[in-house]
Amino acid sequence: MVESREFEGKTVEEAIDKACRELNLKREQLQIDVITSGSSGIFGIVGTRKARIRVSPKEMLPDDQVKLAKEVLENILNTFDVPVVVEGSVKNDQIYLDIISNGSGLFIGRRGQTLDALQYIVNKIVKKEISRCLPIVVDSENYRERRKKSLVDLAKQLGRKARKSSKPVASSPMNAHDRRIIHLTLKKEKGVRTKSKGEGAFRKVVVFPVRKGNSTRGGAQGSSSRKDPPQAGRDE
Amino acid sequence: MKELIEIIAKALVEHPEQVEVREICGKHTSVFELRTAKEDLGKVIGKEGRNAHAIRTILNAVSTKNRKRSVLEIVE
Repeated sequence: MVESREFEGKTVEEAIDKACRELNLKREQLQIDVITSGSSGIFGIVGTRKARIRVSPKEMLPDDQVKLAKEVLENILNTFDVPVVVEGSVKNDQIYLDIISNGSGLFIGRRGQTLDALQYIVNKIVKKEISRCLPIVVDSENYRERRKKSLVDLAKQLGRKARKSSKPVASSPMNAHDRRIIHLTLKKEKGVRTKSKGEGAFRKVVVFPVRKGNSTRGGAQGSSSRKDPPQAGRDE
Repeated sequence: MKELIEIIAKALVEHPEQVEVREICGKHTSVFELRTAKEDLGKVIGKEGRNAHAIRTILNAVSTKNRKRSVLEIVE
């Protein structure tokens, strides 16, 4: 962020306080340059000068972000009584934290729910510390990659089924990240289009076959209307 | 496990010094009572209970390892 602002106060301290309050940031998160330090003049009457400072939110280097995120996750995992190592790196503009443990899948949980919970909490905690931060991905035993592969397979299978039966096919309920993979996989596929349906945790992807002649693909992808499309009626 | 809840809760709230966790042990089930400053309750519960849900999921993972069950109560 290149956004910098100036603040005034009777003293430098006061100006900093004011800046913190108005920007809603902690003092440690600000880059502070003093332009003029105020002086109360003689007897507070003659020659009073206000203190002026220039502040800008401090940008944290990606490496420091990784360090912080890693620390947060380690603190949580250390209460598990399991030997565990966390490796942090920056991958594709994301902070990638890999949990290396005994390979029991303890940190993955059913369908990755423990991994997702850890990822969510770590993101929350780190975002609280530094408002601008790269998204954090928590992984263990290469689960994310494996899950992605199986989702791509599932998407292709759903697409085949929809085309063959000429009826809409619904997936099981899944989270936004998983649904996205399905949508993206089938985007390139001809003869089908996809739409998410349902509310909250029950939201799922429905794959519709596109009849020849009125192949109005595209548009259906982006429109996130949650109304039931007319073809639906199955898989409720 | 008490520690786990404390660490996460303290990192989420504005007044970490007021976070308090009490463990009530049962034979198979432990109940954890989490108390925070009044204005911090929303911070531990989160939007639509998402923070609370995530904490419970992590807690469940630890307790399955210890062959126990845990319940997290957020006390007003």
